[in-house]
Amino acid sequence: MPFREVNSKMVEATVRPGQTMYSQRGAMLGYRGEVSFTPNLQGGQGGLASMIGRRVANEATPLMTVEGDGTVLFGHGGHHVHVVQLAGETLYVEADRLLAFDGTLRQGTMFMGSQGGVMGMVRGQVTGQGLFTTTLQGHGAVAVMAHGGVFELQVTPQRPVHVDPQAYVAHRGDLRNKLSTALGWRDMVGRGSGEAFQLELSGSGTVYVQASEEKL
Amino acid sequence: MTVPVFDPATLPADGNVNPYTFCVELQGSQWFLQKGKMIAYYGQIEFNGIGHGALERLVRTSFHSPLHAGDWVVAQGSGKMLLADRAFDVNSFDLDDGNLTIRAGNLLAYQPSLALKQSIVPGFLTLIGTGKFVAASNGPVVFMEPPMRVDPQALVGWADCPSPCHHYDHGYVRRAGGTPWSSGVESLGAGGLRAMTGIGGASGEEHQFEFVGAGTVLLQSSETLMPEQATGAVPHEPGVPGGGAGHGGTGGQGPLGSGMPRMPGQLGDLQRRFGL
Repeated sequence: MPFREVNSKMVEATVRPGQTMYSQRGAMLGYRGEVSFTPNLQGGQGGLASMIGRRVANEATPLMTVEGDGTVLFGHGGHHVHVVQLAGETLYVEADRLLAFDGTLRQGTMFMGSQGGVMGMVRGQVTGQGLFTTTLQGHGAVAVMAHGGVFELQVTPQRPVHVDPQAYVAHRGDLRNKLSTALGWRDMVGRGSGEAFQLELSGSGTVYVQASEEKL
Repeated sequence: MTVPVFDPATLPADGNVNPYTFCVELQGSQWFLQKGKMIAYYGQIEFNGIGHGALERLVRTSFHSPLHAGDWVVAQGSGKMLLADRAFDVNSFDLDDGNLTIRAGNLLAYQPSLALKQSIVPGFLTLIGTGKFVAASNGPVVFMEPPMRVDPQALVGWADCPSPCHHYDHGYVRRAGGTPWSSGVESLGAGGLRAMTGIGGASGEEHQFEFVGAGTVLLQSSETLMPEQATGAVPHEPGVPGGGAGHGGTGGQGPLGSGMPRMPGQLGDLQRRFGL
């Protein structure tokens, strides 16, 4: 709801009294009106338990609470910014890619192993997601950062999508992902194509892919 | 998609080739240029340092910053030259009997009809007069009207703003003020505890630049640079020509590392050249 894309690397958020927004610390570029930025000890919503959960899961990115009445410009590190509107679905994204999101969204942590067991954990290592990933669910908007521009790929049950694990940014909807390997003897002798691992997403939903293989 | 191929006739005269490259046309004229920002040129163009004797008169009217003298050259001749900087967005701006202050590292080039001076705000340069200049920014430049507060890193520059000043959050002022205990009692909530102990960290947004009054503020997405990747640079070794002098690679924010500012061509440079 409240994000307006100013250009490819900047979003403008409107903050109204009584509404809370979370953003990455240090990501504010400028603001008008009376807006306060409070460091968020818990790293997001919930109480102490969710904070410990995030710390253990290594999904505790430094967040701050944005409150007040005015407009705020967000951007960080010269990264491209992509706004995702959620209407009840769940967005799966790494915590350090979150630039800002609505306080109305429910924040959670998901264990990669819960999707595909050991293979899910391997997948997390290859994509750089680690063992856990952050989920955001509800109605609202999320501003996600990526290195290079972001494009969306629709996934339908008939058409699964293969993504380079390093170019994967986030996904939403009811998607199952699976790491497919095409390891051959060439990779063993160091003459591989460099595309030995691919992320296969199937189901129905949207995948967000960045035009770069650089991690944040 | 076809990629256009340019030649001297089809290159724009004083215009953008793409969002990241700007083309300057020289017809016997001169431009001031930050070192290392020229990526290619057509024609006969000569590049001379600010200390070059023949430029004495030009420097007297248009260049007044000894701190940055080592970072700037004068291009003169006729032809077309292309300017770019770290894949930043590049744009030209026109000043009409005006003034504009800009972050020193973001200014790429300017016409000598403008005068360059050091701003009172450290790290910024002020252009005064009438003419065109070329500036780089991380992401397109966003123009905003005061009153507003800006993250120091996101500030590209400002025009006509009478009083740029620092703004510190109240909580930060109180912590720095020395007596957090006197006021801490009434605010022993989570915020008060943080103010007293620093637990919970800082939001990173305790400090902004504030602009009020009539004018324009120029913003970019962020100042952070992408990591430099080696592109055929010569190794830093003794005996390698051009190796290790460190030109261009450091981002050119001014010769701050070398201590005192110095005009090139002075004795100090000679000493360094001979390794004294």
